[in-house]
Amino acid sequence: MTQVQVLRCESCGALDPGPREVCPRCFRRSLAPVAVPGTGRLLSWTMVRRAPTRFRGEAPYAVASVELDAGVRVTGRLENAEDETAPGARVEASGSGSGYAIFRSVE
Amino acid sequence: MMRPVSIIGIGSTSFGKHAGRSIESLATQAGADALDDAGIDRGMIGAVYLGNFISGPLNGQEVLAGLVADQLGLPNVPCTKVEGACASGGIAFRHAWLAIATGQCDAALVLGAETMTHASGAEVTAALNCAMDNRSDGASGLTFPGLFGMAWRVHAERYGTTRAQVSAVVRKNKANGLRNPLAQMGADLCDDEIVQSPMICDPLRLFDCCPVSDGAAALVLIASDRTRDGAGMPVDVLASIQTRGSARLAGHPDLCSFDATVSAARRAFEMTGLGARDIDLVELHDCFSIAEIVDSEDLGLVPRGAGAGWAAEGRTAVGGDIAVNPSGGLLAKGHPVGATGVGQLYEAVLQLRGRHANQVPNAAIAMTHNLGGTGVACTVNLLKRPDA
Repeated sequence: MTQVQVLRCESCGALDPGPREVCPRCFRRSLAPVAVPGTGRLLSWTMVRRAPTRFRGEAPYAVASVELDAGVRVTGRLENAEDETAPGARVEASGSGSGYAIFRSVE
Repeated sequence: MMRPVSIIGIGSTSFGKHAGRSIESLATQAGADALDDAGIDRGMIGAVYLGNFISGPLNGQEVLAGLVADQLGLPNVPCTKVEGACASGGIAFRHAWLAIATGQCDAALVLGAETMTHASGAEVTAALNCAMDNRSDGASGLTFPGLFGMAWRVHAERYGTTRAQVSAVVRKNKANGLRNPLAQMGADLCDDEIVQSPMICDPLRLFDCCPVSDGAAALVLIASDRTRDGAGMPVDVLASIQTRGSARLAGHPDLCSFDATVSAARRAFEMTGLGARDIDLVELHDCFSIAEIVDSEDLGLVPRGAGAGWAAEGRTAVGGDIAVNPSGGLLAKGHPVGATGVGQLYEAVLQLRGRHANQVPNAAIAMTHNLGGTGVACTVNLLKRPDA
């Protein structure tokens, strides 16, 4: 299964989607990259049809907010969004783009 | 010890397309109108704060506060440009209020200005995306319409909010805009026209989004015990609050609520002892139709989950329980980003003076709400008619 790269504080164990320099919980500068399982729950999604210059060639694309089962929230892409795809749907990571994870609905 | 502050002068250009007009020219026009309206000696102005967001990327022009003060013939006083994305204007106002309330000066000029319509859609979207955390959410290709498309989906799932209810917000604000001579896009819309407009970020369609606009607005603030030094009709500033929320989606406990708005409204009510029932009108940050619904709930003006229903029942229209965006709001009046927060205050002052073209009957207390970025910056102000 595809994993998702996030940050974990080596002092207190807090997870954060990053990038971030200071742990939001213990304020130590001990965040380090960690891969967590890519399974989670869809919080919401949208289909971006008018993209900023940088992403123009990719539109339309679906952006999603996902609560990973590992206990951290990430913003990524959703590759098989359908009109009826609703918040709460189970998703799993299927790949990654430049600085984001790609998910697919598995329901 | 803070001393009371009043708004004594207001000025604004229309919001919309000002082809060939520079941002300095629009800001100078609004500023000169506000100074004329205030009727005070220019020498009394002890500070200038100008709200602007994207003049750098779109115009290649910064240091606008000093440039415009020079155009206006103001004395050698501190001139500060303020940036807080879509809340830039509201933050500029709060700093001017603070300067007077703390006794740094007796009067101050607030300006808000933006020009956007000369740029392409993709350039504007890219410039607006400067307000996102581009190391995190921005990297995914999220846009601001996208953020609110996500909020809509959660609101619909949780509260059963329907397309028709959200369209009621669009129809109300567009109709209010028809009555506001400064508004860019007043219209008498039917539901079919809204649902047939192009999809932007599902489920947001074109009419759910505020237009791209040029415009400027200005206010003259003065210590309340000095209002006799001017000729303008003063309005009292009861509270001016600024808050911060998470810059990232991942930091929002709820995707259809903004902590910065909730905390700003709570503080404004605590500071004044007022409550939602005391508010006659609110100019709030309806950058999108769903944003008005979320904001009205976050501000505590409408019960949680009822924002869309209230709009559909006419309870947020002029003459309803509380008038929400009688100016037409960002949806119809327009959203020249840095000018918006100042423009909201301009509209609220006209209402409290009893001279608005879309007057809320007997308006005594008004609220304004300006939200920036992914809810990272927020200002909430409460204003009162002095005789109320």
